[in-house]
Amino acid sequence: MAATAATAGRLLRLRAAGAEGHWRRLRGAGLPRGFLQPASADGDAAQRRQVAHFTFQPDPEPLEYGQTQKMNLFQAVTSALDNSLAKDPTAVIFGEDVAFGGVFRCTVGLRDKYGKDRVFNTPLCEQGIVGFGIGIAVTGATAIAEIQFADYIFPAFDQIVNEAAKYRYRSGDLFNCGSLTIRSPWGCVGHGALYHSQSPEAFFAHCPGIKVVIPRSPFQAKGLLLSCIEDKNPCIFFEPKILYRAAVEQVPIEPYNIPLSQAEVIQEGSDVTLVAWGTQVHVIREVASMAQEKLGVSCEVIDLRTIIPWDVDTVCKSVIKTGRLLVSHEAPLTGGFASEISSTVQEECFLNLEAPISRVCGYDTPFPHIFEPFYIPDKWKCYDALRKMINY
Amino acid sequence: MAVAAAAARVWGSSRGLGRVGLLLLRQPGARGLARSHPQRQQQHFSSLDDKPQFPGASAEFIDRLEFIQPNVISGIPIYRVMDRQGQIINPSEDPHLPQEKVLKFYKTMTLLNTMDRILYESQRQGRISFYMTNYGEEGTHVGSAAALDNTDLVFGQYREAGVLMYRNYPLELFMAQCYGNVSDLGKGRQMPVHYGCRERHFVTISSPLATQIPQAAVGAAYAAKRANANRVVICYFGEGAASEGDAHAGFNFAATLECPIIFFCRNNGYAISTPTSEQYRGDGIAARGPGYGILSIRVDGNDVFAVYNATKEARRRAVAENQPFLIEAMTYRIGHHSTSDDSSAYRSVDEVNYWDKQDHPISRLRHYLQSCGWWGDEQEKAWRKQSRKKVMEAFEQAERKLKPSPNLLFSDVYQEMPTQLRKQQESLARHLQTYGEHYPLDHFEK
Repeated sequence: MAATAATAGRLLRLRAAGAEGHWRRLRGAGLPRGFLQPASADGDAAQRRQVAHFTFQPDPEPLEYGQTQKMNLFQAVTSALDNSLAKDPTAVIFGEDVAFGGVFRCTVGLRDKYGKDRVFNTPLCEQGIVGFGIGIAVTGATAIAEIQFADYIFPAFDQIVNEAAKYRYRSGDLFNCGSLTIRSPWGCVGHGALYHSQSPEAFFAHCPGIKVVIPRSPFQAKGLLLSCIEDKNPCIFFEPKILYRAAVEQVPIEPYNIPLSQAEVIQEGSDVTLVAWGTQVHVIREVASMAQEKLGVSCEVIDLRTIIPWDVDTVCKSVIKTGRLLVSHEAPLTGGFASEISSTVQEECFLNLEAPISRVCGYDTPFPHIFEPFYIPDKWKCYDALRKMINY
Repeated sequence: MAVAAAAARVWGSSRGLGRVGLLLLRQPGARGLARSHPQRQQQHFSSLDDKPQFPGASAEFIDRLEFIQPNVISGIPIYRVMDRQGQIINPSEDPHLPQEKVLKFYKTMTLLNTMDRILYESQRQGRISFYMTNYGEEGTHVGSAAALDNTDLVFGQYREAGVLMYRNYPLELFMAQCYGNVSDLGKGRQMPVHYGCRERHFVTISSPLATQIPQAAVGAAYAAKRANANRVVICYFGEGAASEGDAHAGFNFAATLECPIIFFCRNNGYAISTPTSEQYRGDGIAARGPGYGILSIRVDGNDVFAVYNATKEARRRAVAENQPFLIEAMTYRIGHHSTSDDSSAYRSVDEVNYWDKQDHPISRLRHYLQSCGWWGDEQEKAWRKQSRKKVMEAFEQAERKLKPSPNLLFSDVYQEMPTQLRKQQESLARHLQTYGEHYPLDHFEK
């Protein structure tokens, strides 16, 4: 039984090795000669699968939290979980396949270190996973639930929206499930298609009582995840899966917190405000460089970090300064979270605006497979929207 | 023959496994999930050359094509202690509870009944917005509540007020919640009958059905096990709610994660207007338990001693062995689903009268009390007067109290109030300064 599980585990790990790993296998690494003709060296561009649409930009090594170590995003998550289980004896981690380390390796080593009663698999049932997590949290213990892909969070929607979010309010603060955190891989990954690419934050933004947090990098991920776990409200932590291996930077070994509901201005500017979260932050960072280089336009780049409750003040303060706002996310345009930001900013900063607020988002379609390069709000679409705003 | 044997394996499993369970009793307080559950160690293979190796099932091969026939004609038998006249049938099953305790059973059930009548009427008169009665199911509440420890955590659905009443939740607080007045522990946020009490370990009721099953119950039970709390969690739900996906999730998790939990199903024949014949085709809810690997029993829910005995034994073993138990209490919903329902639209008055007159948990217990010499007509008359007076007093007081301040509309969404919400709160305050006359502010605290 253990042997089969281990083999299955190895297969799963291979499958989940991430965008570049998969790509390497498809390009013929390891196949016997003569079995398939390898793609020609200078390759028809149409035949070769695409490179990533962004370049991860690591932040400078943080100096104020002690010794750091090179970590990618999934290792930063493991580190945060390790710190949590070490500090808090009530903390447990559960979900599908977390015991062997998880399909994205976020929980590797934790079961061996902390025991089978603290890191364990559940049956394949998201409504059960979240419901179960709420129950643990109601008793005051710390529950860290994993939903294998954000695309599969919907069976748990009732438990999250009708139960977790409302627990404290409806009981008059007699009961709460604040010590619940739900983590889930999120966002496009190059080949995920309809059911491995979704960004469902907008569904949850409409739900008072929970917090929704999305990091852009390993350092951000660890600090924000620790804050979510320690926060006294139920939190959903979406992890950009395309960054799990691609994003590498120096991350403190010891625990540290990054505050929730605080956006970060990662680059100051004077002409346009660019807002995004998760992977898309790296896209708009590049757009900011392009704008400076090609148009002489100075961009202020903001990583929103917490979707709800969101940091209205930081965004408005920036727009009052620049007069122009561009918000970008992979999720579809209609009803996406950019709508909320846009609506609030036009209420608060109407007279400061020099141009209509621009939203550069996914199209109003399910997330396609082969058409992903056309679907995503890449740097060219963002650049073009920015250019139009400047010339308005 | 083979079908019967196969069927017996399914139906008989609840009894057989019970004995096995006893043999493989765990040490109380053992935290080990290290050992696999006793039930997985049962089957012993014979020395056939090609025995099955499948990880997914522990079974032998069969070379005859046979479908297992679900047995709904003679389903799982219904455990009872008293007959319909309140006489003990098998003396060895009599729990021999002391007079004081049995009187508490009786008084709780009748006080609940009285409160139900008065609050139902108050809704009809427009004094509260909504109400749900517990007529006919008082035995399920009191029998089970009495078998638990006071600190055992209770997750209910909405028709378990008797559990709270047994734990001495005062009439004043029942009324406060229904009226949503300043004394309501829930701060006026929910519809009537959505009670909750931290002190009495009764988790606040929520309207969505069955959500309490995985959540509340299984997760809370798992945490109790980890904490070595020697506590059980009990989770109540109706036969209708048992159709929800959350019920399936809860049962499966409880069994695989070995949680000390009692699943208590009140099968009262109707989910609003939907009779059980339209709710399920199998043998009720008890028959589902073995499918999950859960020890299960069906009891006469109108027999308070049967409910008591089953819950008591389930509690003892759930805590000792860290495994779930499923109790299906057969009963009948004598009242309408709620004040928004008129059940004469879908069932006959004769049917309702049968249960009200011939098989009511309160009358059966009264007959038992009378035959013990612990109750009589004089006491009945005095108690009816006294309980009605208590309820009326609490009711009148509740009605006179103010509602909580509108500021409480905004708190407890999060532990701390977010900036944007505070702005909304301020905006309402400003609005009321100008337009306050159009709002019922006189009935609310400032």
